[in-house]
Amino acid sequence: MEYTGRGVLGCVSEGRIRMTTAIETEQLCKSYGKHMCVKNVDLKVPEGSIYGFLGPNGAGKSTTMKMILGLVWATRGQVSVFGEEMNRKNRLEILKETGSLIESPSYYGHLTGRENLEIVRMLKGADKKEVDEALKTVRMEKQQNKKAGDYSLGMKQRLGLAAALLGKPKLLLLDEPTNGLDPAGIQEMRELVRSLPERYGMTVMVSSHLLSEIDQMATHTGIIHKGELIFQDSMEHLHEHSRKRILLRTDQNAAALRILEEQGCRGKMAEDRISLPDMEDEKVAFCIAALVRQKVGIIRVEEYQRNLEDIFLSLTGKQVSL
Amino acid sequence: MKRKKVGLLTCMKAENMKLKRSFIWIAFFIIPIIPALMGTGNYLQNIDILQSEWFSLWTQNTLFYSNFFYAPLIAVYCAYTWRVENFNHNRNSLMTAPVPAGCIFLAKLLNIFWVTLLTQAWVWVLYVLCGKAAGLPGLPDTVIFYWLVRGAWGGMGVATLLLVISMAVRSFAVPVAFGLVGGITGLLATNSAYGMYYPFSLMMMGMNSNKYEDMLGGEGLQFMVFSTLYIVLFCLCGVKWLAVRDVKA
Repeated sequence: MEYTGRGVLGCVSEGRIRMTTAIETEQLCKSYGKHMCVKNVDLKVPEGSIYGFLGPNGAGKSTTMKMILGLVWATRGQVSVFGEEMNRKNRLEILKETGSLIESPSYYGHLTGRENLEIVRMLKGADKKEVDEALKTVRMEKQQNKKAGDYSLGMKQRLGLAAALLGKPKLLLLDEPTNGLDPAGIQEMRELVRSLPERYGMTVMVSSHLLSEIDQMATHTGIIHKGELIFQDSMEHLHEHSRKRILLRTDQNAAALRILEEQGCRGKMAEDRISLPDMEDEKVAFCIAALVRQKVGIIRVEEYQRNLEDIFLSLTGKQVSL
Repeated sequence: MKRKKVGLLTCMKAENMKLKRSFIWIAFFIIPIIPALMGTGNYLQNIDILQSEWFSLWTQNTLFYSNFFYAPLIAVYCAYTWRVENFNHNRNSLMTAPVPAGCIFLAKLLNIFWVTLLTQAWVWVLYVLCGKAAGLPGLPDTVIFYWLVRGAWGGMGVATLLLVISMAVRSFAVPVAFGLVGGITGLLATNSAYGMYYPFSLMMMGMNSNKYEDMLGGEGLQFMVFSTLYIVLFCLCGVKWLAVRDVKA
């Protein structure tokens, strides 16, 4: 297969990301005892993007996001946010520009939704009217005076997002914001997240173990597996790798490969088939005719398109969660 | 984006908000009633030998309150303060607020201080009510109120220690058990020569627990110095811990 392993996908093709970076990590590592849960991660989150941080459960997504926020200190490597290195000195300055929802929504169950937001507002030094704005954004005006402990999970997630929006941060980190939501809630959350860069000029980093989520939400993506960043680029580029191929099986593959090359059609062996780039129907007919003329027996011709799940699977070697 | 500067006062306001509808108010009202009733009962049973009226009642009330209830009650306040952060990943939210760790810790401590002061005021009210119910004339000497305030300051060293324990251990029971054991050992240390060096004893000495005469006598300054020293010492430990440890929510 052509698309096996990191080499073909280029792992991290830095040249493609030319925008200013909101988050940059350099050889970021975190270990707990002997277990290294984040290994040499070089993230580049372009400013104004929705960066989907994708990986199976336990891959190191939350730990990486926590290191970006300074909740967890890196064992090695460094984090920069808007060009400023995250360290104990300037952590608070960076946090002023950051909103987050890590692990699951935080809330004080004995307080109302509004009171919860008031606490966050005070600690962020935001204007009083922002509470109303945030409630409106997440459509929670009617439930604001109910105790947060009595909220459904979807409402708690929305409350968490409203809290993260307070202070109008330039950067928003959302860790699995659709976890536990029903389909309608997932769609609503997705639409909300997608609207943020345009509405508030924010950069959003959103993690998920669901490829479909990231596919529908993000403009850029990074795939982390067993603590290692195995792919990073724009979604557009990831989609390019799912383009169509023509797979050809003959009774003399080696000869067929040579004949096709003579016809100006370069293919490569993929297991027992020849993999050719996508081409027009006429060109396919031309190639087949050339092979038949040379007495090559055609066993099977098929069109193949890898979907994102296949790519994810080949990258992580794991069944994708859907 | 222009934001207001967030300082200690704002953090205190936020902390204060978390006390709304909190169950600590049940503990606040109920727990001091128990030693007040026990002490008054004891006073009435021994009224023949307890001749100093309000001061005698004070010795009996504080005998139970200071030794067995005061420190655990402070422990409940401290444990609760961190318990709300331990639930629902609230530590993540708290520690991603653009606020120095020192402000977070001090705001919690100062909130406990004012709740403790309120508790002492409630203890005074109960003491007066019990005295009146026991048929004591007039009102108690104002020095009793001074002892209560002094006891609150003495209790702050203990509160700071228990706040650090509550923050690090993430258990409600452990700090309360510490408070209980501390109260009993404090009683032993108070009656030895080392009372001034033990935070749990300072709390009792400040309260002039189970005594008619001011047990600090001329050692008021020493009491203030040691109480303040413990507050500062435990504060530094707490703030350092909060600032350097990874957050586990």
